[in-house]
Order: sequence, then structure tokens, then C-alpha cells
Amino acid sequence: MTAVQPRFDGVVHMPPRLQVCGLLAAVDDMDFALVRERVGVSDSVLSKHVKQLEEAGYVTVRKSTRASRVRTNLALTATGRKAFDAHVAELRRITGT
Amino acid sequence: MESDGGTMDATAAAAELAALDADRAALADRVVQPWWYDALLGLLVAGFVSSYSTRNVWVIAGALVLLLLGLRGLMAVYRRITGMWVNGLRPGPTYRAATVWFVVYAVVVAAAAAFEFLLDVRGAMVVGGVVLGVAIAVISQWWSRIYVAELRGEL
Repeated sequence: MTAVQPRFDGVVHMPPRLQVCGLLAAVDDMDFALVRERVGVSDSVLSKHVKQLEEAGYVTVRKSTRASRVRTNLALTATGRKAFDAHVAELRRITGT
Repeated sequence: MESDGGTMDATAAAAELAALDADRAALADRVVQPWWYDALLGLLVAGFVSSYSTRNVWVIAGALVLLLLGLRGLMAVYRRITGMWVNGLRPGPTYRAATVWFVVYAVVVAAAAAFEFLLDVRGAMVVGGVVLGVAIAVISQWWSRIYVAELRGEL
């Protein structure tokens, strides 16, 4: 297993994007509503940050209709996962843990 | 709190790491599937493997379709209950549970098929199906316990 190279990532770092990436890194995908609940921001604020993560190629957004309700699922891309892991490694380097 | 890699101090970095750990630990409280999820999973697997005892290609094909539809349904139920999906074959500590499942599946199917089709013991695949149904239910629970421990940082 290759050790993750610590690298500060400005896109991931900005709150609440770090929290969003942290949640998505633990799963394959997560409902937008659950991410919003965990992060504790409004729909519009989360949408803005998700859009920035999406533009950076870190997150994919998938919409589906279930029981006549549109559900939005968020997932970290492979690039996003690498960026998040590298950023966490950088935080650990700074703290010396 | 805006800072960059050059100016970020150890206290801020430690606070961010602690927040990430807390989020993962909170997630652990809602990822565990209900008992009946594993019971249904076991029934689907048991039904599919047992169908080989009929030696009827249409019954086996029907059982396969039922298995695939059932798995899709269970996936939808899990998403609805938890709001997320986690791949059972994800890399990490949980992979050892997946590996045990594949080994158990291969050994049990090989033994049951040998009895059923080589030694002509009718019903051997049903026994194998029941064993695998119980095994997948137990291993699925084990998988979840490993995942929860991983999220809580206990591994």
C-alpha cells in the first residue's frame, strides 16, 4: 500500500466542504438531505459548496426519482477521494499525528 | 475560519481532524441494517442455491431473477433507511468479512454440488443453500460490526 502524500487542498479545506468530503469518504454515496442534516447548513448553502466540489471534479451528483420524489445522491470521485486523503494527511503532518 | 496550508497551525488542524472523527463516529450510529435485512438476504441466497436441487433450468433461472430483484430491493430499502449506500466489497478492514464469504461460498457450493451431481444425493444443494443463507446473514452482521468499529476509529 502506497503512503498518501500530504498535500493541502484549498477546495477541500474550506468549511463546510471538508465536512462534506469527510462524510462522503466513509460511504459510496449519500443522500443530499442526510449530508445537509449532518453538516447543518441550508439547502442553498450546501448546493453552492457541492457545486464547487463538482466543478473541481471531486464530487458527482446523481438525481433519481423514487416513489415520485426526486432524490439527490452525492458521491466522492476517485480524484476527490485522493484529494481528501492527501488533505487529511497534511492535517496529520501539521499536528504531528 | 479560512487558512491555507502555510498559515494553518497545529491547533486548527487538530480541531479539523477531531471534527472529521466526530462526524464518522456519528455516522456509525445509523449504518447498521435491521436484523430482518440479513434474514431476507439469507433467504434469497438460500432460495437461489437450493433451486439447483430441482435440476430444472427454468426454476433455477427464476430463482436467479428473484435473487437479483431481491438484492436490488434490499439495496433500495437500505438506502431509504440509512440515506446512504456502502459497497460490501469496499477496500479496508471490512474486506476480510467479504473474503470469508467468498471462501465459504466456494467451499459449500463445491461440496454441495459434488454430493448433488456427482454422488447423486438429492437435496444436497438445499442443505448447501441453507448453510449459505445462514452464513451470509451472520457474515453480513459481522461486516457491519467491523464497519462501525472502523467509523468509530476503534480499529
